[in-house]
Amino acid sequence: MSEKSGISRRQFLGLSGGVVAAATLASMGIKYHGTKNERELDLNDIKYKESETDVLVIGGGMAGLFAAVKAHDAGAKVLLVSKGRVGSSGATPFAKGIFVYDSNTATISIDEFVEQVSKSAIDTNRKEYTKQMAMYSKERVEELKQWGFFDSPLYHKSFSTPIKKRNIPVKERIMITHLIKENGRIAGAAGFSFDEPIVHIFKAKSVILCTGAGGFKPNGFPICDLTHDGTIMAYNIGAKITGKEFNDGHSGSQTNPADCYTGWHGMFDRTPSTNGVEVHHDLGVDLNYKAYVLGNPISMMPGADNTSVEGGPYIPEGFNRQNQNDENRPSGPPSGENGDGPSGTPPMNGKNEKVTSGGGPGGGPSGGAPAGVSQASSGGASAGMSIHKSEGIAPINLQGESTIPGLYAAGDALGSYMAGAIYTQVGSSLAGSAVQGAIVAQAAAKYCESVTLQNIPSSKLKTIKAEILAPLKRDSGYGAAWVTQILQGIMIPNFVLYIKKENLLNAALAYVKELRDHHSPMLKAANLHELRLAHETKNMIITAEMKLKASLMRTESRCSHYRLDYPDVDYKNWQAWINIYKDSEGNMKFEKVPFGEWTKA
Amino acid sequence: MSIKSIVGCIGCGECVQSCPTDVIRLSTVNKKAYIAYPADCQMCHLCRMSCPVDAITIDSEKSIPVMVSWG
Repeated sequence: MSEKSGISRRQFLGLSGGVVAAATLASMGIKYHGTKNERELDLNDIKYKESETDVLVIGGGMAGLFAAVKAHDAGAKVLLVSKGRVGSSGATPFAKGIFVYDSNTATISIDEFVEQVSKSAIDTNRKEYTKQMAMYSKERVEELKQWGFFDSPLYHKSFSTPIKKRNIPVKERIMITHLIKENGRIAGAAGFSFDEPIVHIFKAKSVILCTGAGGFKPNGFPICDLTHDGTIMAYNIGAKITGKEFNDGHSGSQTNPADCYTGWHGMFDRTPSTNGVEVHHDLGVDLNYKAYVLGNPISMMPGADNTSVEGGPYIPEGFNRQNQNDENRPSGPPSGENGDGPSGTPPMNGKNEKVTSGGGPGGGPSGGAPAGVSQASSGGASAGMSIHKSEGIAPINLQGESTIPGLYAAGDALGSYMAGAIYTQVGSSLAGSAVQGAIVAQAAAKYCESVTLQNIPSSKLKTIKAEILAPLKRDSGYGAAWVTQILQGIMIPNFVLYIKKENLLNAALAYVKELRDHHSPMLKAANLHELRLAHETKNMIITAEMKLKASLMRTESRCSHYRLDYPDVDYKNWQAWINIYKDSEGNMKFEKVPFGEWTKA
Repeated sequence: MSIKSIVGCIGCGECVQSCPTDVIRLSTVNKKAYIAYPADCQMCHLCRMSCPVDAITIDSEKSIPVMVSWG
């Protein structure tokens, strides 16, 4: 990569997207041959490093923080590895509200709270995890206070305080691409650094995935570094995955839709705060449905057209649709003051809602655009993401254990269904990540006491290294940025991911299979940044396949999953979650798990 | 074009570390931050907020075409 201010031809291709770039370059009289890999590093310079630990925590957000600290406190040797900086990557840096259940001030009991969430979630929440989050939220918030979390809008310093105090080793700017399984249980992980040509092998007795969830690098939502890495690498070694048919419904602004900071109205500048019980039924597909039926412009700001539409997603009794007036909202004040942003504040609502600072883009009770200024919204701002904690590794118990011994997950990487398949409790996402991280850490540390570090055969390591570096070694192929743009074009339109119907889900699936079979094996990378993009793109393609197939399988509508051809809740056949796993021949398989039952290995 | 300029950089590397999408790098030549991969900027402003000398300016427009759910 040139360090001059001028833009290279290859960089220009990356910026502009394949077809557009080809046309533009042709008009400029430049010959287009964008498939050649103009490698910027010498493959002979690549080195390999091995590290050993008891518990390997992957991810440096809220779940990873507590996983590392509590596993250490439980006596395990811990190593934390993160794709970005601790406290400054994933969804955590942008979550500003954290739920606390305080028995001294709460007006309802924890059991009543769980029932309220279940009612909103139409039974899709796993009640044990909902209860666990509420029970331990106060303990975790007290610790965060001690570490200075509530004193700054930037979280790196407060997250580093307990980690440094315990001398927990941290490795940042490393993308983990592979989990390693030996003798039926976890043996470690592997990945590469963005800053040096080094492939890292981490041997571990136990691995905790705190890798968050992800999307399709959507515009207007700060999750472009989250590409379901943990989910896909766990799937690849046989773990069961859940929740892929559900959709986060955050909208963005139609003006400069990619500008996250401005779209969130300065919320990122705020210090975090706490909030109490406030159960909603938000951020489903309501606005997408209205936009699909009526077309643009759609605005949820004060003074906007509040035309109601026939049909659409079922809303449980006592909860209001987002695009209706909200005078009868069942509990709590508008969430504006404590909106938790990407972790669950509804960005838009009825015109009688109080408008305060914070929350999401596009206006609304917590949207914070200047009162009276109508702002057109656009859906798909978080495309590819399910509801927080309703997708990811399917747990076999309340300790975040996966179907693979020694492999655990916490936070958005764990399909705990803590909140259900719709946004229910405001601020519970951050609280749930903290609570789950701490609990899972203790289980992982205990597991380590009974197992030894495994030897990983050199032949397996050789294969993994080759797979990691393959895009760098290709002399020709497809650029990850271009493939990602094609994937966005297939998955983000509202008639695919949001307003679903069989023929279009199948049409999208045909395209995604093409990317999976032809383009994914031919992704190329000229440098370590592009190597990251290549692996991220591979993960997003598998995620897209999962989302489309799970959406086809769920022949009903419920919470944030809406099928135009199956618009009703099917209480007879679909009181169940969907798990996804890879069989011994490498095929993607699906299973139903009745609500309330645990996944079996 | 997303992150637009870095003027007055002192080379501390805070922006490089704070960027979730690896847009900024430190030059091996002059040890100052430069915008290496602007197409991946998500305009979250963590780099700007982390910069101790307010050296970073960010625009609202994405440097590549933007896909939205409906338009």
